[in-house]
Amino acid sequence: MTLVYLLLGTVFGFILSRSGAADYDFIQGMFLFTEFQLYGIIAVAVLVTAPGIWLIKRRGRTILGQRLWIETKPFHRGNIAGGILFGIGWSIAGMCPGPILVNIGEGKIYAVAALAGALVGAGLLGAFYESLQRVFALPALKAGTGEG
Amino acid sequence: MSLILHGLPPLHWALAGVGIAGVTLALLLLANRRLGISTGFEDLCSLALPLPYLQRAAVTVGREWRLPLLAGLVVGGFLSAALGGGWHLTWALGLFDRAIGLGPAGKLAWMFVGGLFIGFGTRLAGGCTSGHGIFGLANLELPSMVTTLCFLGAGIVTTQIVYRVFVPLVAL
Repeated sequence: MTLVYLLLGTVFGFILSRSGAADYDFIQGMFLFTEFQLYGIIAVAVLVTAPGIWLIKRRGRTILGQRLWIETKPFHRGNIAGGILFGIGWSIAGMCPGPILVNIGEGKIYAVAALAGALVGAGLLGAFYESLQRVFALPALKAGTGEG
Repeated sequence: MSLILHGLPPLHWALAGVGIAGVTLALLLLANRRLGISTGFEDLCSLALPLPYLQRAAVTVGREWRLPLLAGLVVGGFLSAALGGGWHLTWALGLFDRAIGLGPAGKLAWMFVGGLFIGFGTRLAGGCTSGHGIFGLANLELPSMVTTLCFLGAGIVTTQIVYRVFVPLVAL
């Protein structure tokens, strides 16, 4: 299966690279409303994924016959505060998490600094989870804020 | 508009959207996994930091699929550059170079700060553009709708401030 994940990641990375989703100019164009490529991509991706998930849920099993299990994300104040902080970062770097890795693969040197920042940011959340838990009414430490 | 990468024309948005949906659905149908990238940051951190939050089962159990998927993203970017005109290291940053124009050290600092917001924000929100924006919205999850509105809104406000307020002011 490792090879399957690697392959899916490669296809995903190639699409992100060639579509503008991992491109600083297209990201700023989206936020400046001068370029609608990314809105189109997100809309189509969601509109095609939605009926697909519905069909797979109806089937109830994976290809290998495993019982389907989708863990839904919990609702908490971190959705709002974290969403806003992430949006600021997305604008500053012109990358969201997947494209950070794609840009590193493309050879864009500065993306390594974005990855370093993201790892420090994630590490800080992990280090201060118990304090943040009270402020943002986050789920139990074992559960976490939501996978993904 | 063309890509910073070799000035290539972008894929049609509808084709890219269908492709991303295909990857998302394949991951679910083949491997019982909901698409999500940002937990991978916790996963990478957990390799070095023995913090209880980073060592929780949700992170360590997912390692077998998350790490290869993340590695694939790097490979995908590499192939895209190599096949699209050759792979080489670059500092090119399009609009940023034209409007803000910091050198290498400034770019590294700028990107590190952006990364801090991305890593802390996505993990506080429990997901990013893929986990909330694509999978969560498509699965009609309320937390994902709230989070997606927040990150799109904050991105719009930040870029408008940087490019329509800050840059023109500095140019005066």
